[in-house]
Amino acid sequence: MSGLTSIGLFWGLSAVALLGALAVVFVRDVMRMALGLGAFLMAVAGFFAYYGFGFLALAELFVYVGGVLVLVLFAIMFVQRTGSGAPLLESRIDSLTVVSSVAVAAVLFVMVRPLAAAFSVSLPATATQHLSQALLGRLLPQFEAVGLLLLVSLVAVVIIVGGERE
Amino acid sequence: MAALLMAPWLAVVVPLVLAIAIGLVGRYAKPIVPLVAMIGPLLVVALGIGALAAIPIGASAAAEPWTSQLASSGSTVWFGVGALTISVGWAIDTLAALMLLVVGVVALMVIIFSIGYMSEDPGKVRYFALLSAFTGAMTLLVIGDSFTTLFVGWELVGACSYLLIGFWYQKPSAMAAAVKAFLTTRVGDVGLLFGLAVLWASTGSLGYVAVMHGLGSMAPGAITAAAVLLAIGAIGKSAQFPLHIWLPDAMEGPTPVSALIHAATMVAAGVFLIARTWPLFEAAPAARTVLLIAGLISALGAALAAIPQRDIKKVLAYSTISQLGFMFAALGVGAWGFAFFHLITHAAFKALLFLTSGSVIHGSGTQDMREMGGLRKAMPVTFVVWVVGVLSLVGLWPLAGFFSKDAILDAVWIAVPIAGVLLFATAFVTGVYSGRATRLTFFGSWRGSGHAHESPLTMLVPLVLLAIPAALLGFSGNWIMTRLGEHPEPLSLSISGVAVGLGLVGLLVGWSLERGENADEILQVRLGRAWTAGSAGFGWDTVVTRVVVVPVTVAARVLWAVVDRYVIDGTVEGTATVARWAGGVVSRLQNGDAQWYGALIVAGVALMLAASIWLGR
Amino acid sequence: MSMILVACSLFGIGLLGVLVRRDIIALLASVEVMLGGALVLLVGLGASVKHVGSPVSVEGIALIVIVVAAAEAAVGLALLVAVARRRGATRVEDLSEVKG
Repeated sequence: MSGLTSIGLFWGLSAVALLGALAVVFVRDVMRMALGLGAFLMAVAGFFAYYGFGFLALAELFVYVGGVLVLVLFAIMFVQRTGSGAPLLESRIDSLTVVSSVAVAAVLFVMVRPLAAAFSVSLPATATQHLSQALLGRLLPQFEAVGLLLLVSLVAVVIIVGGERE
Repeated sequence: MAALLMAPWLAVVVPLVLAIAIGLVGRYAKPIVPLVAMIGPLLVVALGIGALAAIPIGASAAAEPWTSQLASSGSTVWFGVGALTISVGWAIDTLAALMLLVVGVVALMVIIFSIGYMSEDPGKVRYFALLSAFTGAMTLLVIGDSFTTLFVGWELVGACSYLLIGFWYQKPSAMAAAVKAFLTTRVGDVGLLFGLAVLWASTGSLGYVAVMHGLGSMAPGAITAAAVLLAIGAIGKSAQFPLHIWLPDAMEGPTPVSALIHAATMVAAGVFLIARTWPLFEAAPAARTVLLIAGLISALGAALAAIPQRDIKKVLAYSTISQLGFMFAALGVGAWGFAFFHLITHAAFKALLFLTSGSVIHGSGTQDMREMGGLRKAMPVTFVVWVVGVLSLVGLWPLAGFFSKDAILDAVWIAVPIAGVLLFATAFVTGVYSGRATRLTFFGSWRGSGHAHESPLTMLVPLVLLAIPAALLGFSGNWIMTRLGEHPEPLSLSISGVAVGLGLVGLLVGWSLERGENADEILQVRLGRAWTAGSAGFGWDTVVTRVVVVPVTVAARVLWAVVDRYVIDGTVEGTATVARWAGGVVSRLQNGDAQWYGALIVAGVALMLAASIWLGR
Repeated sequence: MSMILVACSLFGIGLLGVLVRRDIIALLASVEVMLGGALVLLVGLGASVKHVGSPVSVEGIALIVIVVAAAEAAVGLALLVAVARRRGATRVEDLSEVKG
C-alpha cells in the first residue's frame, strides 16, 4: 500500500470513528445515535484491518456490529417509552464534565506518547495460526475465563430479563 | 489590755466574727444580741486606751516621720506573686489610737441607743450584726500599716454603709439611696485606686513606711498625681463637693446608723486617710489646693442648703458636709492636726445631735420639723443635750466645738485670708440653720398629731454620756496636739471673738426666721427660688443626673440595642447562618446524580494522573 | 502519534458521553465508544512493537477485550430492559432516588 493511500485510509477511518463517537455523545434522536455507534464500530474494525489484524477485524464485526449493535437496537425497541415517536435523548453538559474528560484524554495522551517514540512503524501481518497458538497456549487461562464469563452473563441476562413471573 | 496590744487584729476579727454569729443564730437569742454587738466596740475602746497609754509622751518621730512612735506593730505576708509580696499588718500610733477611741466610743453609744430605738424593728438582728461588722471594718481601716489594709477596710465600710442605708430595703427610696451612696463613693474609690497604683508603681510598695520613705525619689508629677487621686477618694468618702450628693439621701437609713457612720466615723475616714499619709500631701501643693477648694465649697454651700430643710435629719446631714468642709479646708492649708482635732470633737457633738434627733423622732413620731414644736416641755432631757450639741456645733465657748473650729479658722485665715472669710461666713450660717432648727423643733406650740413623750432610759443615757465630751473635749486640745507631734496654736482672741460673735448672731437670725406659725411659707414666698433651690441642695443632684446618669443610661441602652442585638447576637446567629449555608453548599455534592459523582471521580483521576506525570519528571 | 491522538480523543469523547448523557441507552453506547477507543490504542501500539524476547499476542488480548465488552453490553442492556419495565423510565433523573 502506498504511503498516500495509507495516510488517506487512516484519516478516513479516523474521521468516521470520530464522527460516530460524537454522534453517540451528542445526537438527540435515539436511532441516529445507534447509527452513529454502528459507524464507529465499523471504523474500529477498519482500524484493526488497517493494522493488519484481519481476524480481529472480523471478530469485531461479528461480535460488536452484528451482536452488540443488534442488542442495542432490540433494547431500544423493547424499552417502553412514554409519548409518541422516539423520545429525545438529553445530555447535561457542564464545565466539570468537559474539563475532566479533556483532562483525562490529554493525560492519557501525554503518558502514552513517549512509548510511540520507541517504536518503529511496521505493519507485520500476523497469521491466524499465530493467534490460535496464543489463545490455546499462553492466553489459555484468560481464554477459559472469558468463556466462563460469557456463560455467566448469558445466565444473568436470562434471569434479569425473564426472571419475574407475576 | 497588754494582751490586746499583742494582737490588735483581734479588734478587727472579733467584731466581724461576732457579726456573722449574730447573723446566723441571733434570732434565737434576741435579747442578748445587742450585748454581743457591744463586744466589738468595747475591744476597740480598750485597744485605743491601751495604745495611748503605751506610747511615751513626746516620743520623737523616729521611723515614722509624721506621727509619734508606735504602740504596737506587726505584719505577715498575705500573698506573693513572684518577687512581689503583699503583706498586711498593723501599726498603731497616736493618730490611730485616737481614731480608735472615737470609733469605739461612738459605736458603743449607738448600740446602747439602738436597744431602745430599734426595739420594735423586725430586722434588728440584722441591724446589730451589721453594726458589729462595721466596727470591725473601720478598725481594720484605722490600724492597718499599709494602703492595702486601708483599702480593704475602706471598701468594707462602704459595703456596710450600703447595707445599712438600705436597711429597710422594702422602701424603694432607701434602696435608691443606698445605691446612690455606693456609686458616688465608688467614683471616689476609683480615684483612690489609681492613686494607689501610682504609689505602687513609683515606690514598689504599699506600706505606709515604705511609701513615705520613697517619696524623696518619686517624680514630682507622680507625687502630685498620687496625692490628687487620693484626695478624690477622700472627697468621695467624706461627701465633699462634688461627690456629696449621697449623704443627704443616706438619711433613709435608721438614725443611729446616721450617727455612727455618716457623722462620726466613715465620713471621717477621708480626713483620717489624709492625716495618715500627710507627708505625701505636704509634698503636693496642688492636692492641698484641691482639698481647700472642695472644703470651702462644701462648707458654705452645704450650710446654706441646711437652712430651708424640713427634715431634721437632712439639716444634720448638710451640717455634716459643712463641718467636714471645715476639716478639708484645714487640710488644704496644712493644718492636719487641727483638722483631726475637729474630727474628734465633731464626732462627739454630731453623733450626739443625730442620736438626739433620733430621740426626737421616736418621741414625736415624725421627722418633719413642721410637725414638731414645743418639745422642750415634753422631752426635757432631749432638749438639754440638743442644746449642748448645737452650741458646740456653732462653736460657743467653752464647748468643744469652739476650740477645734477656732483653731481651723485661725490657721485658714492666716494662710489664705479669702478662704478664712468664707469660713467665717460659714460659721455665721451654721448659727442660722441651727437656730432655726432648734426653734422649729423645741419651741412654739406642738403642731403634730398625737402625743409627744420623752424617750426611754436606754436612749437617754447614751445621749447624756455623749454630751460630756461634746461639751468638755475641747480642753484636751493641747494634749491631743502634743501627742500628735504638732504644736498647738495659741488661739487669738480676735479671731475667736469674731467667730463666736458670728455664731451668736447667726443663731439669732435663724431664730427669728421662724417667728410665727407659717414662717416657712412666708419665707418661701419671699425668697422664692432661693429657698426651694436650697432645700433641694442647689440642684447639684439634677446636674449629676443630667450630666452623668442620663448619658450613661442612654449609652447603655444604645449599646444594648445596637451592639448587643446586632453585633453580638448577629455574630452568634451569623455563625449558625454560615454553618447552614456551608452545609447547603456541601450537601450539593450528594445529590444522587451518579453522573455527577462520576464527573467528580474522573476529575480526581485526571488530577492524580497529571500529578504523577508532573512529579515523575 | 496521530494514531495515539485519535485513539485518545475517541476515549475522551466516550468518557464525556458517560458523564453527560441522561438516558441509559446512550450511556451504555458511550461506554462502548470508550472501549473502542482503548482497543484502537492497544492495537495501534501493538502493531508497532518489535518482538523482543517473548512474543506478545496483541490480537489475543484485543480479542479477549472484545468478548468482555460484549458480555458487559449484554448484561447492561438486560438490566436496562428490566429496570425500564419496572420503573417505566430510562432517564437517569427518574431512576435516581437520592435527591440533592
